[in-house]
Amino acid sequence: MGENAQTRWWRQDGVGYVVIDNPPMNVLSDVNRRGMLEALGEFQRDGVRAVVLTGAGDRAFCGGADLKEEERLTPETVQQFLRRGQEVNRTIRELDAPVIAAINGWTMGGGLVLALWCDLRVGSTRAKLGAVGVKVGLMASNVQLARLVPEARARDALLTGRTLEAAEALAWGLLSAVVPPEELLREATAWARRIAARPAALVAEAKRALNRALEPEPGA
Amino acid sequence: MSHLTDLGGGRARLVTGLDGPVADVAAELARLAAGEAPSVAAIAGRCAGPAFQLALACDLRLAAAGASFSAEGVGDVAACARRLARLLGEARAKDVLLTGRTFDAAEALRLGVVTRVVPAARLDDEARAAAELIAARPPLAVRAARRAIARVRDLAPAEALAEEHEHFRRLLRSRDHQAAVAASVARRAPVFTGE
Repeated sequence: MGENAQTRWWRQDGVGYVVIDNPPMNVLSDVNRRGMLEALGEFQRDGVRAVVLTGAGDRAFCGGADLKEEERLTPETVQQFLRRGQEVNRTIRELDAPVIAAINGWTMGGGLVLALWCDLRVGSTRAKLGAVGVKVGLMASNVQLARLVPEARARDALLTGRTLEAAEALAWGLLSAVVPPEELLREATAWARRIAARPAALVAEAKRALNRALEPEPGA
Repeated sequence: MSHLTDLGGGRARLVTGLDGPVADVAAELARLAAGEAPSVAAIAGRCAGPAFQLALACDLRLAAAGASFSAEGVGDVAACARRLARLLGEARAKDVLLTGRTFDAAEALRLGVVTRVVPAARLDDEARAAAELIAARPPLAVRAARRAIARVRDLAPAEALAEEHEHFRRLLRSRDHQAAVAASVARRAPVFTGE
Protein backbone atom coordinates (compact mmCIF):
# COMPACT_ATOMS: atom_id res chain seq x y z
CA MET A 1 0.00 0.00 0.00
CA GLY A 2 1.32 3.44 -0.82
CA GLU A 3 0.71 6.70 -2.54
CA ASN A 4 2.36 9.81 -3.92
CA ALA A 5 0.82 13.12 -4.93
CA GLN A 6 -0.88 11.68 -8.05
CA THR A 7 -0.84 7.90 -7.68
CA ARG A 8 -2.34 5.45 -5.18
CA TRP A 9 -1.80 1.72 -4.83
CA TRP A 10 -2.80 -1.12 -2.54
CA ARG A 11 -3.31 -4.89 -2.37
CA GLN A 12 -6.38 -6.90 -1.66
CA ASP A 13 -6.81 -10.68 -1.82
CA GLY A 14 -3.71 -11.26 -3.93
CA VAL A 15 -4.62 -8.53 -6.44
CA GLY A 16 -2.65 -5.28 -6.70
CA TYR A 17 -4.44 -2.04 -7.59
CA VAL A 18 -2.87 1.11 -9.04
CA VAL A 19 -4.87 4.30 -9.57
CA ILE A 20 -3.68 7.26 -11.66
CA ASP A 21 -5.14 10.20 -9.76
CA ASN A 22 -4.30 13.40 -11.59
CA PRO A 23 -7.64 15.14 -12.18
CA PRO A 24 -9.48 16.08 -14.26
CA MET A 25 -8.07 14.01 -17.17
CA ASN A 26 -5.44 11.92 -15.36
CA VAL A 27 -2.68 13.14 -17.66
CA LEU A 28 0.46 11.16 -17.16
CA SER A 29 3.05 13.08 -15.18
CA ASP A 30 6.49 12.04 -14.06
CA VAL A 31 4.99 11.74 -10.56
CA ASN A 32 2.62 9.07 -11.96
CA ARG A 33 5.43 7.27 -13.72
CA ARG A 34 7.46 7.14 -10.50
CA GLY A 35 4.38 6.04 -8.54
CA MET A 36 3.60 3.25 -10.97
CA LEU A 37 7.20 2.03 -10.93
CA GLU A 38 7.21 1.97 -7.12
CA ALA A 39 3.86 0.19 -6.96
CA LEU A 40 4.77 -2.44 -9.59
CA GLY A 41 8.14 -3.05 -7.91
CA GLU A 42 6.37 -3.62 -4.62
CA PHE A 43 3.83 -5.98 -6.24
CA GLN A 44 6.59 -8.02 -7.89
CA ARG A 45 8.50 -8.38 -4.58
CA ASP A 46 5.30 -9.36 -2.74
CA GLY A 47 4.29 -11.97 -5.31
CA VAL A 48 1.03 -10.29 -6.30
CA ARG A 49 -0.74 -12.59 -8.79
CA ALA A 50 -2.60 -10.01 -10.89
CA VAL A 51 -2.72 -6.21 -11.12
CA VAL A 52 -5.55 -3.81 -11.98
CA LEU A 53 -4.55 -0.39 -13.33
CA THR A 54 -7.19 2.34 -13.61
CA GLY A 55 -7.77 6.10 -13.56
CA ALA A 56 -9.46 8.04 -10.75
CA GLY A 57 -12.98 9.36 -11.34
CA ASP A 58 -15.25 8.47 -14.23
CA ARG A 59 -13.96 10.84 -16.88
CA ALA A 60 -10.60 9.47 -17.93
CA PHE A 61 -8.38 6.41 -17.64
CA CYS A 62 -5.43 8.50 -18.76
CA GLY A 63 -5.54 11.56 -21.00
CA GLY A 64 -2.00 11.06 -22.25
CA ALA A 65 1.28 12.79 -21.66
CA ASP A 66 1.22 16.14 -19.91
CA LEU A 67 1.43 18.64 -22.80
CA LYS A 68 2.97 21.23 -20.47
CA GLU A 69 5.67 18.78 -19.45
CA GLU A 70 6.14 17.81 -23.07
CA GLU A 71 6.35 21.41 -24.24
CA ARG A 72 9.43 21.91 -22.07
CA LEU A 73 11.24 18.95 -23.63
CA THR A 74 14.60 19.70 -25.21
CA PRO A 75 16.66 17.35 -27.36
CA GLU A 76 18.45 16.38 -24.12
CA THR A 77 15.38 15.80 -21.94
CA VAL A 78 13.31 14.04 -24.60
CA GLN A 79 15.60 11.06 -24.21
CA GLN A 80 14.90 10.96 -20.47
CA PHE A 81 11.13 11.41 -21.11
CA LEU A 82 11.05 8.49 -23.54
CA ARG A 83 13.26 6.37 -21.30
CA ARG A 84 11.07 6.88 -18.23
CA GLY A 85 7.90 6.12 -20.20
CA GLN A 86 9.52 3.03 -21.62
CA GLU A 87 10.66 1.96 -18.15
CA VAL A 88 7.02 1.91 -17.02
CA ASN A 89 5.93 -0.03 -20.12
CA ARG A 90 8.75 -2.53 -19.76
CA THR A 91 8.01 -3.01 -16.07
CA ILE A 92 4.36 -3.80 -16.88
CA ARG A 93 5.52 -6.22 -19.54
CA GLU A 94 8.16 -7.93 -17.42
CA LEU A 95 6.06 -8.19 -14.27
CA ASP A 96 5.21 -11.85 -13.63
CA ALA A 97 1.63 -10.93 -12.83
CA PRO A 98 -0.64 -9.98 -15.72
CA VAL A 99 -1.75 -6.33 -15.65
CA ILE A 100 -5.38 -5.54 -16.43
CA ALA A 101 -6.27 -2.01 -17.49
CA ALA A 102 -9.71 -0.99 -16.26
CA ILE A 103 -10.58 1.64 -18.87
CA ASN A 104 -13.01 4.00 -17.17
CA GLY A 105 -13.09 6.86 -19.71
CA TRP A 106 -10.86 8.79 -22.11
CA THR A 107 -7.68 6.92 -23.03
CA MET A 108 -5.62 9.01 -25.41
CA GLY A 109 -2.09 9.32 -26.76
CA GLY A 110 0.34 8.27 -24.05
CA GLY A 111 -2.64 6.96 -22.06
CA LEU A 112 -3.48 4.61 -24.91
CA VAL A 113 0.15 3.50 -25.07
CA LEU A 114 -0.03 2.63 -21.37
CA ALA A 115 -3.30 0.73 -21.79
CA LEU A 116 -1.94 -1.20 -24.78
CA TRP A 117 1.13 -2.31 -22.85
CA CYS A 118 -1.14 -3.91 -20.27
CA ASP A 119 -1.93 -7.59 -20.78
CA LEU A 120 -5.70 -7.23 -20.85
CA ARG A 121 -8.17 -4.37 -21.04
CA VAL A 122 -11.72 -4.26 -19.78
CA GLY A 123 -13.76 -1.11 -20.26
CA SER A 124 -16.80 0.72 -19.05
CA THR A 125 -19.38 1.92 -21.55
CA ARG A 126 -17.70 5.33 -21.16
CA ALA A 127 -14.37 4.06 -22.48
CA LYS A 128 -13.06 6.10 -25.41
CA LEU A 129 -9.78 5.17 -27.06
CA GLY A 130 -7.86 7.52 -29.32
CA ALA A 131 -4.46 7.16 -31.00
CA VAL A 132 -4.28 10.94 -31.06
CA GLY A 133 -0.54 11.26 -31.67
CA VAL A 134 -1.14 12.01 -35.35
CA LYS A 135 -3.51 14.87 -34.44
CA VAL A 136 -0.69 16.77 -32.79
CA GLY A 137 1.94 15.79 -35.31
CA LEU A 138 3.55 13.05 -33.24
CA MET A 139 3.73 9.28 -33.23
CA ALA A 140 2.64 7.09 -30.33
CA SER A 141 1.19 3.59 -29.89
CA ASN A 142 2.07 2.63 -33.47
CA VAL A 143 3.99 -0.47 -32.56
CA GLN A 144 1.66 -1.66 -29.79
CA LEU A 145 -1.51 -1.09 -31.78
CA ALA A 146 -0.07 -2.79 -34.84
CA ARG A 147 0.80 -5.81 -32.68
CA LEU A 148 -2.60 -6.05 -31.02
CA VAL A 149 -4.90 -5.55 -34.00
CA PRO A 150 -4.48 -6.48 -37.66
CA GLU A 151 -3.17 -3.80 -39.97
CA ALA A 152 -6.48 -2.77 -41.56
CA ARG A 153 -7.77 -1.56 -38.19
CA ALA A 154 -4.43 -0.14 -37.07
CA ARG A 155 -4.31 2.00 -40.21
CA ASP A 156 -7.76 3.42 -39.55
CA ALA A 157 -7.01 4.30 -35.91
CA LEU A 158 -3.49 5.61 -36.47
CA LEU A 159 -4.06 7.64 -39.65
CA THR A 160 -7.32 9.30 -38.62
CA GLY A 161 -6.65 9.63 -34.87
CA ARG A 162 -10.41 9.18 -34.43
CA THR A 163 -12.07 8.08 -31.20
CA LEU A 164 -12.98 4.41 -30.78
CA GLU A 165 -16.02 4.05 -28.56
CA ALA A 166 -16.28 1.10 -26.17
CA ALA A 167 -18.41 -1.05 -28.50
CA GLU A 168 -15.99 -0.65 -31.42
CA ALA A 169 -12.98 -1.31 -29.19
CA LEU A 170 -14.71 -4.49 -28.00
CA ALA A 171 -15.38 -5.60 -31.60
CA TRP A 172 -11.72 -4.99 -32.43
CA GLY A 173 -10.58 -7.06 -29.46
CA LEU A 174 -8.88 -4.11 -27.78
CA LEU A 175 -11.30 -4.50 -24.89
CA SER A 176 -12.11 -7.99 -23.61
CA ALA A 177 -15.33 -6.90 -21.89
CA VAL A 178 -17.50 -3.78 -21.60
CA VAL A 179 -19.69 -3.16 -18.54
CA PRO A 180 -21.59 -0.21 -17.02
CA PRO A 181 -19.29 2.29 -15.24
CA GLU A 182 -20.42 1.32 -11.74
CA GLU A 183 -19.47 -2.33 -12.42
CA LEU A 184 -16.04 -1.73 -13.96
CA LEU A 185 -13.84 -2.24 -10.90
CA ARG A 186 -15.79 -5.35 -9.94
CA GLU A 187 -15.41 -6.70 -13.49
CA ALA A 188 -11.66 -5.97 -13.60
CA THR A 189 -11.29 -7.60 -10.18
CA ALA A 190 -13.15 -10.69 -11.45
CA TRP A 191 -10.71 -10.97 -14.38
CA ALA A 192 -7.78 -10.49 -11.99
CA ARG A 193 -9.05 -13.13 -9.55
CA ARG A 194 -9.66 -15.61 -12.37
CA ILE A 195 -6.00 -15.21 -13.33
CA ALA A 196 -4.82 -15.17 -9.70
CA ALA A 197 -6.55 -18.53 -9.13
CA ARG A 198 -4.40 -20.21 -11.80
CA PRO A 199 -0.90 -21.55 -11.02
CA ALA A 200 1.33 -18.46 -10.82
CA ALA A 201 4.34 -20.07 -12.53
CA LEU A 202 2.19 -21.21 -15.44
CA VAL A 203 0.65 -17.76 -15.86
CA ALA A 204 4.08 -16.08 -15.73
CA GLU A 205 5.46 -18.55 -18.29
CA ALA A 206 2.51 -17.95 -20.62
CA LYS A 207 2.93 -14.19 -20.29
CA ARG A 208 6.65 -14.40 -21.12
CA ALA A 209 5.93 -16.66 -24.09
CA LEU A 210 3.26 -14.27 -25.41
CA ASN A 211 5.62 -11.32 -24.97
CA ARG A 212 8.04 -13.12 -27.29
CA ALA A 213 5.45 -14.54 -29.64
CA LEU A 214 6.00 -11.96 -32.37
CA GLU A 215 9.79 -12.05 -32.19
CA PRO A 216 11.39 -13.66 -35.24
CA GLU A 217 11.79 -17.43 -34.83
CA PRO A 218 15.24 -18.37 -33.57
CA GLY A 219 17.29 -19.51 -36.54
CA ALA A 220 14.61 -18.40 -39.01
CA MET B 1 -12.36 1.15 -63.48
CA SER B 2 -11.52 2.78 -60.18
CA HIS B 3 -11.58 6.52 -59.81
CA LEU B 4 -9.17 8.57 -57.66
CA THR B 5 -10.04 12.00 -56.26
CA ASP B 6 -7.33 14.08 -54.61
CA LEU B 7 -8.40 15.85 -51.43
CA GLY B 8 -6.77 18.50 -49.26
CA GLY B 9 -4.26 19.50 -51.93
CA GLY B 10 -3.24 15.90 -52.53
CA ARG B 11 -2.81 14.95 -48.85
CA ALA B 12 -5.36 12.14 -49.12
CA ARG B 13 -7.28 10.33 -51.84
CA LEU B 14 -10.79 9.04 -52.22
CA VAL B 15 -11.10 5.86 -54.29
CA THR B 16 -14.45 4.94 -55.88
CA GLY B 17 -15.65 2.64 -58.64
CA LEU B 18 -14.40 -0.52 -56.90
CA ASP B 19 -17.52 -2.46 -57.87
CA GLY B 20 -16.89 -2.53 -61.59
CA PRO B 21 -14.57 -4.35 -63.99
CA VAL B 22 -10.85 -3.59 -63.85
CA ALA B 23 -9.13 -3.59 -67.21
CA ASP B 24 -5.50 -3.34 -66.08
CA VAL B 25 -5.06 -4.12 -62.40
CA ALA B 26 -1.29 -3.57 -62.45
CA ALA B 27 -1.68 -0.08 -63.90
CA GLU B 28 -4.36 0.83 -61.38
CA LEU B 29 -2.29 -0.53 -58.47
CA ALA B 30 0.65 1.56 -59.68
CA ARG B 31 -1.56 4.64 -59.86
CA LEU B 32 -2.69 3.97 -56.27
CA ALA B 33 0.84 3.42 -55.00
CA ALA B 34 2.21 6.60 -56.61
CA GLY B 35 2.92 9.37 -54.13
CA GLU B 36 2.52 9.08 -50.38
CA ALA B 37 -1.08 10.17 -49.94
CA PRO B 38 -3.21 7.76 -47.90
CA SER B 39 -6.25 6.46 -49.75
CA VAL B 40 -9.80 5.82 -48.54
CA ALA B 41 -11.90 3.34 -50.53
CA ALA B 42 -15.66 3.83 -50.78
CA ILE B 43 -17.14 0.46 -51.75
CA ALA B 44 -20.71 0.62 -52.98
CA GLY B 45 -21.56 -2.69 -54.68
CA ARG B 46 -19.94 -6.02 -55.48
CA CYS B 47 -16.20 -5.81 -54.95
CA ALA B 48 -14.54 -8.97 -56.24
CA GLY B 49 -11.39 -10.21 -57.96
CA PRO B 50 -9.11 -7.44 -59.22
CA ALA B 51 -11.34 -4.73 -57.69
CA PHE B 52 -11.03 -6.51 -54.33
CA GLN B 53 -7.27 -6.48 -54.73
CA LEU B 54 -7.37 -2.73 -55.44
CA ALA B 55 -9.54 -2.14 -52.37
CA LEU B 56 -7.04 -4.01 -50.22
CA ALA B 57 -4.28 -1.72 -51.47
CA CYS B 58 -6.07 1.31 -49.97
CA ASP B 59 -5.36 2.50 -46.43
CA LEU B 60 -8.97 2.57 -45.25
CA ARG B 61 -12.10 0.89 -46.57
CA LEU B 62 -15.68 1.99 -45.98
CA ALA B 63 -18.62 0.05 -47.38
CA ALA B 64 -22.26 0.72 -48.14
CA ALA B 65 -24.63 -1.58 -46.27
CA GLY B 66 -25.45 -3.42 -49.51
CA ALA B 67 -21.86 -4.04 -50.61
CA SER B 68 -20.46 -7.54 -51.00
CA PHE B 69 -16.96 -8.93 -51.30
CA SER B 70 -15.08 -11.89 -52.71
CA ALA B 71 -11.44 -12.75 -53.30
CA GLU B 72 -12.45 -15.02 -56.19
CA GLY B 73 -10.54 -14.06 -59.33
CA VAL B 74 -7.74 -12.00 -57.81
CA GLY B 75 -4.88 -12.08 -60.28
CA ASP B 76 -1.84 -11.96 -58.05
CA VAL B 77 -2.55 -14.54 -55.36
CA ALA B 78 0.82 -14.14 -53.63
CA ALA B 79 0.50 -10.36 -53.25
CA CYS B 80 -3.09 -10.71 -52.16
CA ALA B 81 -2.20 -13.34 -49.56
CA ARG B 82 0.49 -11.15 -48.10
CA ARG B 83 -1.77 -8.13 -47.95
CA LEU B 84 -4.72 -10.04 -46.50
CA ALA B 85 -2.66 -11.72 -43.79
CA ARG B 86 -1.39 -8.32 -42.65
CA LEU B 87 -4.74 -6.59 -42.89
CA LEU B 88 -6.89 -9.25 -41.23
CA GLY B 89 -4.58 -11.67 -39.42
CA GLU B 90 -3.71 -15.11 -40.74
CA ALA B 91 -6.84 -17.02 -39.69
CA ARG B 92 -9.22 -14.65 -41.45
CA ALA B 93 -6.94 -14.24 -44.45
CA LYS B 94 -7.07 -17.99 -45.05
CA ASP B 95 -10.83 -18.03 -44.79
CA VAL B 96 -11.25 -15.23 -47.32
CA LEU B 97 -8.61 -16.31 -49.83
CA LEU B 98 -8.92 -20.11 -49.70
CA THR B 99 -12.70 -20.22 -49.94
CA GLY B 100 -13.20 -17.25 -52.27
CA ARG B 101 -16.67 -17.06 -50.73
CA THR B 102 -18.85 -13.97 -51.02
CA PHE B 103 -19.51 -12.07 -47.80
CA ASP B 104 -21.70 -9.07 -47.10
CA ALA B 105 -20.80 -5.68 -45.61
CA ALA B 106 -21.69 -6.68 -42.05
CA GLU B 107 -19.34 -9.65 -42.21
CA ALA B 108 -16.66 -7.52 -43.89
CA LEU B 109 -16.85 -5.27 -40.83
CA ARG B 110 -16.51 -8.21 -38.43
CA LEU B 111 -13.60 -9.62 -40.43
CA GLY B 112 -11.92 -6.21 -40.47
CA VAL B 113 -11.93 -5.99 -44.29
CA VAL B 114 -13.70 -2.64 -43.86
CA THR B 115 -13.67 -0.52 -40.73
CA ARG B 116 -17.03 1.18 -41.28
CA VAL B 117 -20.37 0.33 -42.89
CA VAL B 118 -22.81 3.14 -43.64
CA PRO B 119 -26.15 3.45 -45.50
CA ALA B 120 -25.59 3.55 -49.28
CA ALA B 121 -26.85 7.13 -49.53
CA ARG B 122 -24.22 8.28 -47.02
CA LEU B 123 -21.25 6.35 -48.40
CA ASP B 124 -19.64 9.05 -50.54
CA ASP B 125 -19.99 11.73 -47.88
CA GLU B 126 -18.67 9.50 -45.09
CA ALA B 127 -15.71 8.24 -47.11
CA ARG B 128 -14.91 11.77 -48.24
CA ALA B 129 -15.10 12.96 -44.63
CA ALA B 130 -12.68 10.21 -43.53
CA ALA B 131 -10.24 11.17 -46.29
CA GLU B 132 -10.55 14.84 -45.39
CA LEU B 133 -9.91 14.01 -41.73
CA ILE B 134 -6.61 12.39 -42.74
CA ALA B 135 -5.82 15.28 -45.11
CA ALA B 136 -6.29 17.70 -42.19
CA ARG B 137 -3.71 15.91 -39.98
CA PRO B 138 -0.08 17.08 -39.92
CA PRO B 139 1.45 15.56 -43.10
CA LEU B 140 4.78 14.56 -41.54
CA ALA B 141 3.04 12.59 -38.80
CA VAL B 142 0.69 10.89 -41.27
CA ARG B 143 3.59 9.91 -43.51
CA ALA B 144 5.61 8.64 -40.54
CA ALA B 145 2.67 6.62 -39.20
CA ARG B 146 2.04 5.12 -42.61
CA ARG B 147 5.67 4.10 -43.09
CA ALA B 148 5.93 2.72 -39.57
CA ILE B 149 2.78 0.62 -39.97
CA ALA B 150 4.07 -0.83 -43.22
CA ARG B 151 7.36 -1.82 -41.56
CA VAL B 152 6.21 -2.93 -38.13
CA ARG B 153 5.73 -6.57 -39.02
CA ASP B 154 9.11 -6.81 -40.72
CA LEU B 155 10.92 -5.81 -37.54
CA ALA B 156 11.45 -7.41 -34.16
CA PRO B 157 9.32 -5.53 -31.60
CA ALA B 158 12.34 -3.90 -29.94
CA GLU B 159 13.58 -2.58 -33.28
CA ALA B 160 10.12 -1.34 -34.22
CA LEU B 161 9.90 0.49 -30.92
CA ALA B 162 13.32 2.07 -31.40
CA GLU B 163 12.12 3.33 -34.79
CA GLU B 164 8.95 4.70 -33.25
CA HIS B 165 11.00 6.65 -30.70
CA GLU B 166 13.23 7.95 -33.48
CA HIS B 167 10.13 9.23 -35.31
CA PHE B 168 8.85 10.74 -32.05
CA ARG B 169 12.07 12.70 -31.45
CA ARG B 170 12.07 14.00 -35.00
CA LEU B 171 8.37 14.92 -35.01
CA LEU B 172 8.68 16.66 -31.64
CA ARG B 173 10.93 19.23 -33.32
CA SER B 174 8.57 19.75 -36.28
CA ARG B 175 6.76 23.05 -36.79
CA ASP B 176 3.47 21.25 -37.14
CA HIS B 177 3.76 19.70 -33.70
CA GLN B 178 4.57 23.10 -32.21
CA ALA B 179 1.60 24.58 -34.08
CA ALA B 180 -0.65 21.83 -32.66
CA VAL B 181 0.48 22.52 -29.08
CA ALA B 182 0.11 26.29 -29.50
CA ALA B 183 -3.36 25.86 -31.01
CA SER B 184 -4.40 23.52 -28.20
CA VAL B 185 -3.27 26.05 -25.55
CA ALA B 186 -5.05 28.89 -27.41
CA ARG B 187 -8.13 26.68 -28.06
CA ARG B 188 -8.18 27.30 -31.80
CA ALA B 189 -7.79 25.10 -34.88
CA PRO B 190 -4.17 24.49 -35.89
CA VAL B 191 -2.82 25.23 -39.37
CA PHE B 192 -0.32 22.64 -40.63
CA THR B 193 2.29 23.35 -43.26
CA GLY B 194 3.98 19.98 -43.50
CA GLU B 195 7.19 21.20 -41.90
